[in-house]
Amino acid sequence: MSIVGKSATSAKFRRNRWLLTAILSLYFIYTFMPLFYVITAATKSNQDLFSTFGLWLAEDFQLWENLKTLFTIQDGIFLKWMANTAYYSSVSAIGAALFATFAGYAFAKYSFFGKKLMLALVLGAVMIPQTALVIPMFLMLSNLGLTNTSLAVILPSLVFPPGVFLMWAYIDDAISNELIEAGRVDGAGEFHIFSSIAFRMLMPGFATVLILAFVASWNNYFLPLVMLIKPDMFPITVGLAQLYSTAISGTGGVLLFTVVMTGALVSIVPVIAAFLLMQRFWQGGLGAGGVKA
Amino acid sequence: MTERALKARPRNRVIVNKTIAPYLFLVPFALFFVAFLIVPLIYAFDISLYKKAMVGGVKFVGADNYIKAFADPKFWEGVGVLFKFAFLQIPIMVATALLFALILDSGVVWAKAFFRISFFIPYAVPAVIATLIWSYLYGPAYGPIGQTARFLGYEAPDFVSPEWILGSIANIAQWQYMGYNMIIYFAALQAIPTDLEEASVVDGASAFAFATRIKLPMIVPTIIVTVVFSIIGSLQLFTEPFLIQNMARSVINSNFTPNIYAYNLTFVGQQPNYAAAISFLLGGVIAVVSYVFMLVVNRRNDR
Amino acid sequence: MAVIELRDVRKTFGAVEVIGRVNLTIDDGAFVIFVGPSGSGKSTLLRLVAGLEDATAGQVLIDGADVTHLGPAERQLSMVFQSYALYPTKTVRQNMSFGLEVARLPKAEIKARVDGVADILKLGDYLDRKPRALSGGQRQRVAIGRAIVREPVAFLFDEPLSNLDAALRVEMRIEIAKLHQRLGATMIYVTHDQVEAMTLADQIVVLDKGAIQQIGTPMELYQSPANLFVAQFIGSPKMNVLAVRPDGSALIFADGSRADFGLPVPSSLAHVGFRPEEAQLLPAGQGHLQGVVEVVERLGSDTFAHIGLGGLGIITARMPGNVLNISLGQPVGLGLTMNQLHQFSADGIRLS
Repeated sequence: MSIVGKSATSAKFRRNRWLLTAILSLYFIYTFMPLFYVITAATKSNQDLFSTFGLWLAEDFQLWENLKTLFTIQDGIFLKWMANTAYYSSVSAIGAALFATFAGYAFAKYSFFGKKLMLALVLGAVMIPQTALVIPMFLMLSNLGLTNTSLAVILPSLVFPPGVFLMWAYIDDAISNELIEAGRVDGAGEFHIFSSIAFRMLMPGFATVLILAFVASWNNYFLPLVMLIKPDMFPITVGLAQLYSTAISGTGGVLLFTVVMTGALVSIVPVIAAFLLMQRFWQGGLGAGGVKA
Repeated sequence: MTERALKARPRNRVIVNKTIAPYLFLVPFALFFVAFLIVPLIYAFDISLYKKAMVGGVKFVGADNYIKAFADPKFWEGVGVLFKFAFLQIPIMVATALLFALILDSGVVWAKAFFRISFFIPYAVPAVIATLIWSYLYGPAYGPIGQTARFLGYEAPDFVSPEWILGSIANIAQWQYMGYNMIIYFAALQAIPTDLEEASVVDGASAFAFATRIKLPMIVPTIIVTVVFSIIGSLQLFTEPFLIQNMARSVINSNFTPNIYAYNLTFVGQQPNYAAAISFLLGGVIAVVSYVFMLVVNRRNDR
Repeated sequence: MAVIELRDVRKTFGAVEVIGRVNLTIDDGAFVIFVGPSGSGKSTLLRLVAGLEDATAGQVLIDGADVTHLGPAERQLSMVFQSYALYPTKTVRQNMSFGLEVARLPKAEIKARVDGVADILKLGDYLDRKPRALSGGQRQRVAIGRAIVREPVAFLFDEPLSNLDAALRVEMRIEIAKLHQRLGATMIYVTHDQVEAMTLADQIVVLDKGAIQQIGTPMELYQSPANLFVAQFIGSPKMNVLAVRPDGSALIFADGSRADFGLPVPSSLAHVGFRPEEAQLLPAGQGHLQGVVEVVERLGSDTFAHIGLGGLGIITARMPGNVLNISLGQPVGLGLTMNQLHQFSADGIRLS
């Protein structure tokens, strides 16, 4: 805790408290406003969307109708998009987190020939622009006939260099060398040490990378945009964007505007909920990694 | 006695030895790293050395694409946009993230956890959706910003006009990423031992003096890392302008950012070879900028 | 320099009372040490004096002025922390100047003071280094320098030697004693190490569970401990204590053995104590109690014999030099002289 002013009850402290809380509250309004807008927009009819005040509800509460439209449009493609997103993100996240954990463990707890070089490569990988990778990947995969498959989206997402760094920093901190040496003295093999001793202690870090990889995959737009052609393979990002451009270009009928907002609402609710529920786990991991950096 | 104990070790279980273990741990990551990073890069580099002609098919042209890219004003226009964007967005975001992290770390405000989490939530929103939502908010006719302005008697600016477009996009990035950086700074500040604060209190420093003269200098390495990653991210700008294009077709041209340029070259212009060269050139720009930045920062630190 | 007074000071953290009612006066120029085991409240008491904690009740006065609601800087106190708490991004010079800069002293004066103190503490060569480039002992001197430079009315030390290795600790103990002689300043020092307390203090305040057990000079505490706690906290090895029941002019021990002293024994006597160097070892069969030597420790300067007294437990005897005629398993007798024993009641209070 801190000591501002002379003691926790002085007038200066109280004034500072009000002032700083007010500043944070203002930014909170800014942060929340778009989310609030999504909620109110999803409850309106298309007509009301354009005529009523954006940040408040209209008399005509249309949320259920909008949801119905959302889930039935184009034969329920939105549900397919949700399923796709969940599937791509979960598989990518688990795989990416596991690979990053293994790799981070190797970097943190071993010294070996080529370590510095590999670390430099991983660091460099973070700097490469997506287009330099995704488009050639597309060309490569289309030669192999793998475009427009879920693998085209999942496999590249298993490479998550920031996760490697995060786990490297975290493992270095969280697991003492002595623990591993004790395991060796006890006769355990390296992998056994990892799975039965180390892994349990890594959970906060692992959870952090898992969530970050999940979010990265969930948010990914460019990769699926390029790799997937058939709409029923789309994740929500690509699907909604397409709905939006159809709505703006006027070809899909004016109904689509509210549907896009409703879709946005439906797609962000689970992620935010997941964040709120998991925040016990990930805050520790992110902290350690950030400190190490 | 000892010999018997040694022989008793099960021989059918594979004991992974210390020297090989790290390589085995790296195999899964390394495999995919090579397959989906190195190989595409090599492939991209390869195709960038070719050109598809109307007549005669694909032929090897060596560095021609790169020379063309280097001299291409469309590319450098895009780079200029990126620089303007980065100079606008990054300082504001870092400053607000630092300010809020310091405020939260000082322990003075109420509902610390509430603010921490709520500021982070936008990071969980996909960039696509954030851009969609803000596009709606920016809407001149039906967007709440415009509505509120008119209610107050003002006219809201045209958020997608050439003057405002970068600010509008920067705003989306600010909304999305401030919380993420703030959490990183907050964690670093929390790691500062409390007796340093007490020493500063004994020295007579106010909380503000302690924050600015002791705490901030201590987290400079963390700040540098986040700025480097922000620079790298900004120079790869694609999603937000790409989507806002729908609303502002005249402002966001086909080469607004180099990534958009490369995309259009591949899928609209059917020139994947040249696109590859553009991408590599962009990668080179990113590498140079990052390297220069770190050089400048490190020189300041050593002083 | 100043007189520091604590009047009826209490401190609670939530429902837990960490410091019970404490009344204490610290004279100008005195070197007072708060000593006690972990959790005794000694650090809390120091922080109350410093102003880093607010007293739940009571007053803190410096030279008669009530400073209870002032912070440490306003009380004009300096503190040396256990972990030194040096600002890592600042050089030694900047660390020492920081407090003065905050107080807006003129640059020339700041430089003069820092240079002066650096001279005293022999930090001149390190002024431009950062803490991470210094050894533990050097960092400690910088922490002390930072405290001196502000010319406070009193210095507060919170276990400053705990993080040093044994040899360095002895060296720095002497440095701190010399510093006190040189500056003549009031110093309040917290430690759990009773050797530091005994060697450095003018006055020792012994604390246990938030209450003052005894205040006195080192010798007073050693020779006339006010209660069992002080008796066994001060002095190493610990004072030997045996539970007794008076019976006329004799004492009955826990295993039933009886020792007659000829003179009437105080009826409220419940514990007797004698320090290891006061133990009277006699040939087997002689003396009031019988025992067997279980462990002998030879340090060259002293010989310690740990003697098992059957059901009464183990006592320690200390003999100077290397005593040759004591060995493992040797039966010995223990003599007790009534008027030389430390006597305590059932509550552990000293009987006068």
